[in-house]
Amino acid sequence: MLNPRFKYLQIAFNRSLPEVRQMINLLPVSDRILIEAGTPLIKRYGVKGITFLKDCWEQKLQKPGYIVADLKCMDRGSTEVEAISLAGASAATCLGLAPIETISEFINRCEAASIDSMVDMMNIQFPFEILQKLPKLPQVIVLHRGVDENDLNREKQIPLYHINKIKGTYNVLISVAGGENLRSATSSFFNNADITVIWRQFYETPEQTAQLAKEFLELVK
Amino acid sequence: MILQKKEKYLQIALNSNLQEAELIIRQLPISKRILVEAGTPLIKIYGTEAISRIKQLAGPQAYVVADMKTADLSQREVRMAAEAGASGIVCLGVSPIETIDLFIKECKSIGVDSMIDMMNVQDPLMILKKLKTSPDVVILHRGVDEIEFSKEKQIPYYQIKQIKGSYNILIAVAGSDTIREVQRAIFNDADIVVVWKEFYQASSATAKLAEDFLKVVK
Repeated sequence: MLNPRFKYLQIAFNRSLPEVRQMINLLPVSDRILIEAGTPLIKRYGVKGITFLKDCWEQKLQKPGYIVADLKCMDRGSTEVEAISLAGASAATCLGLAPIETISEFINRCEAASIDSMVDMMNIQFPFEILQKLPKLPQVIVLHRGVDENDLNREKQIPLYHINKIKGTYNVLISVAGGENLRSATSSFFNNADITVIWRQFYETPEQTAQLAKEFLELVK
Repeated sequence: MILQKKEKYLQIALNSNLQEAELIIRQLPISKRILVEAGTPLIKIYGTEAISRIKQLAGPQAYVVADMKTADLSQREVRMAAEAGASGIVCLGVSPIETIDLFIKECKSIGVDSMIDMMNVQDPLMILKKLKTSPDVVILHRGVDEIEFSKEKQIPYYQIKQIKGSYNILIAVAGSDTIREVQRAIFNDADIVVVWKEFYQASSATAKLAEDFLKVVK
């Protein structure tokens, strides 16, 4: 569903649903923008939140858009994948830290539901060790720095050099999450990422959504 | 900590849907030793409404565990679950140490019990050692997918005594479904045993397990 020749911008939404609707309305119309239902939003509103985002984005685009459900599956992957695909998600995430059985079941279930599988490598030093154990690859690998770790420990960096290493061996798309500004997004694309995930600036200054999205969108052209 | 160190508890995890959760809760014996859990799938499907609805069904005195499986943004998730009525909240042991530390701190300041789920953690002691403060509960776990696809993975009972020898915390063990397995976990010094209804079981089987627990385990 994602085109490997394109670069994408994924915007994560975690505010209240009425605020999210306003923010999505301010976004420019573009296929390169992926809308993410963030983990806190899913845990707050459940699958209703996903359907809500799907509807808002579809109204804006005038056609169905791409919705990522940041499920962060750790167990019982099958139940969760079915629920969110019915709700209208185009992709779901699973934690790379989950048991291998869970990740591999998650990938199978995503395939069965015809949605993209994304494996989030947050807090994993060597993503290769996980990838080697999987019988089937996911569509997307997310290289990720957690928000809490970023805030408390500024020295930790997203290991951008992993991008080309992984792409050299596996036929997957790479998404980079945890950067906070235009500069980190630029450097993730420069390092060959396919998707860059942003949220903080949108979360903290929703009134600037339109301007921010335009600036970021310049990058993915 | 809200839970008592001297007591033994049975935690009933509710995972499928709210209708079934209601059916099970209505049949449960009333006891402060029975904890009800809003399982992760329920939370992801219904949102925090799953927690508030279960609290409402189980009554104001009930102890509700919110299995948030927090992996990031712990302050927000703790507040969200506590506001919905949770008394105990779960964070993943595999998440970054910064997240777990913030999680425990936030639980303490709000006055709810912090529970760290050690699913897929090789050595829980290694995690506990790195933390600024200890959590109230550690959950030793076999994931459902792990049980389903590799039967030989066992609940590591020896870890219970290892952890209790060094830390003053309660241990919950998840992954039992018969009264014998529950007894075995308690015999191995677990404080809380987590059980859930398999899809092929009747909800009355879960209620029966709870009754047996209150009778057999004192």
